[in-house]
Amino acid sequence: MTPRDAEPVLSRRAPRRRADHGPKTMNRILLIEDDAETAEAIVAELADRGFEVHWAGDGIDGLDRARASSPDAMIVDRMLPGMDGLAVVEALRKDLVRTPVLVLSALGAVDDRVRGLRMGGDDYLTKPFALVELVARIEALLRRPVDSCETILRVGPLEVDLIDRTARRGERELNLLPREFRLLEYMMRRNDQLLTRAMLLEEVWNYKFVPATTNLIDVHMGRLRHKVDGPRETQLIHNVRGSGFVLRSRQ
Amino acid sequence: MHQSQLIRSSTFLWALAVAAAFALFVVALFAFIYWKLDAYLVARSDRMITTQIQFIAKLPPARRISAIADHLEQDSRGVQYAGLFDAVGTRLAGNIDHLPRAFGLEGTAQSVRLDPFEKPAAHSPVVRAVGRRLDSGDVLVMGRNVDETREISSVVGEALALGLLPAFSLCLLAGAWLSVRAHRRVEEVNQRVQRIVAGELRERLPEGNADDSFARLARIVNGMLDEMETMINALAGVGNDIAHDLRTPLTRVRLALERGRTHAATLEELQDVSDKAIAGIDQSLAIVTALLRLTEIENNRRMAGFGDVALDEIVREVCDVYEPIAEDKRIALGVVIDRDVQVWGDRDLLFEAVANLVDNAIKFTPSGGRVELALEAEDDSALVRVRDTGPGISEPEREAVLRRFYRSDKMRNTPGVGLGLSLVAAIVKLHGFRLIIGPAPGGRIEILAWTGRAGSTSRRNGTLLSACVSETA
Repeated sequence: MTPRDAEPVLSRRAPRRRADHGPKTMNRILLIEDDAETAEAIVAELADRGFEVHWAGDGIDGLDRARASSPDAMIVDRMLPGMDGLAVVEALRKDLVRTPVLVLSALGAVDDRVRGLRMGGDDYLTKPFALVELVARIEALLRRPVDSCETILRVGPLEVDLIDRTARRGERELNLLPREFRLLEYMMRRNDQLLTRAMLLEEVWNYKFVPATTNLIDVHMGRLRHKVDGPRETQLIHNVRGSGFVLRSRQ
Repeated sequence: MHQSQLIRSSTFLWALAVAAAFALFVVALFAFIYWKLDAYLVARSDRMITTQIQFIAKLPPARRISAIADHLEQDSRGVQYAGLFDAVGTRLAGNIDHLPRAFGLEGTAQSVRLDPFEKPAAHSPVVRAVGRRLDSGDVLVMGRNVDETREISSVVGEALALGLLPAFSLCLLAGAWLSVRAHRRVEEVNQRVQRIVAGELRERLPEGNADDSFARLARIVNGMLDEMETMINALAGVGNDIAHDLRTPLTRVRLALERGRTHAATLEELQDVSDKAIAGIDQSLAIVTALLRLTEIENNRRMAGFGDVALDEIVREVCDVYEPIAEDKRIALGVVIDRDVQVWGDRDLLFEAVANLVDNAIKFTPSGGRVELALEAEDDSALVRVRDTGPGISEPEREAVLRRFYRSDKMRNTPGVGLGLSLVAAIVKLHGFRLIIGPAPGGRIEILAWTGRAGSTSRRNGTLLSACVSETA
């Protein structure tokens, strides 16, 4: 996993490889989860991806650790012994701690999700979840795009003008439909990041539910890819099997 | 029924109160009649004696005595009084012993006690009398006994007693009967309710043929019981459905894992097995998620998210999302928007409902077909119609399709269906809208929405989605 950096999204970065261990600054994650087995799996997966993970088994301990060690991101389970997960987040936000928080919950209802986000969570993941999804979301939280005033986004040969609503790859003008433009813009803001189908549904299409047609995203992505990646051009949009899509800035 | 229970029953008490009120009313009525009658009789006798005194006074003095005698002779009942006295009060003629004291001689009728001549009574009767001083100085008195009104009053009293007592008893009897009847019906209802509580969900309250309030109440309760029975049965069915729907993917997972564990020779083979297992588990989880979502909507707790929703925007967005899917399947997806319509509702849920309908339509329409999404607007209603050239929903399936987890046989092998229409139905119900399923062949499902509440508010034409508008236009 690449380290977190504060560069804008158009920065070029090394391609992501699974075995990319030993970055100079490891992202520190605090996991507050009461179920030991779940915690173990999460810790192992994140460690594999090059994160430094600390685990707290209950809310009070978790809050103490969060205050003491100021991690880069937190994963907080909602149902915790001692202190509710949301209460932990709320307490931190009261102290003006802005650490991004991913809330985990067995409560999948839309209202719970809204509540979780309103109480200071930055993202919400319903149990059970795929580990890939969890990692993708943590990476997204760590690399939240800077709310810059940039009106032109550039990733590799791609260039998107947010004012004119035009996109080009090198010299080639891309004739995009509005929905394709939205998708490309989102991907360019998060280049070299794994974007899962669920993330795209939530963020680009503003879906609050899982559509019955499971390949909905794939079809849209197929359209976009067809326009972005010409027949003899290097592929920029990559399908990560079983997980989602990545817009790679470099091969 | 126990005696004290009868007396305590409100029906009986009411009957008693009504009977008492009735009796009081009748007594008052009779009193009034008596009072009017009495006044009438007195006035009549007053007129008579006034006429008589005038008649006799006009006669020449010589004939007066004989006229008085004639007058009294004709009175067989002995109710007439007449008397002629001289200036000092000595009786000259008639049946009055002496002039009563303080007797006005102005010629107006008055009640006075007259002592009859030669027939001393134990107590002299009170009569209506009129007196007049004649030109000669004599005093002429004419009177009439009005005691007959007392007789009338006693007759009336008797009639009252004879009439009222049976009426009162009748009232009480009716009250007791009604009370017993009501108690019996309550008891019957109670027994049936006990049976329902014990789990006999098919039991219903007796409705009877009569159109009384009790029968109406029974019908209302029975309607409620019908609804509850359906719901309870649906819930009971859900268990089976979940078991069935979960068992299929879980069986596959189990088999794949079991076989993979023994037979996988390479890492790739094992990974392949794991992928299959994960896919099966994901399918199971999707079912659970959909079920929870349905419960969430059906529990009606989402009114908080209600606001003005532009249906036209939703229709355009859904069309936008599904256009590529339809195109891939070589299905023409058309959208017709009458005009912009706003309704009061939850935007996300309505989007979900319309998206589900379109999703289904595309899924079940064969290649080369057509799906049409239309928004029609009336004064106070709007219609979202999804029409396709697919097989549609057959008559017996129409109702069943809206039940949870229903999946027609031909859908069994299509992944991810089952709950779609149930979800739509739940969302539509939450909004108080109507879901109309058209007849097969060709699918046609409509959501009839009421625009009453939001219709008057100003039109927001989404600038956000102007791009989308131009695209679909």
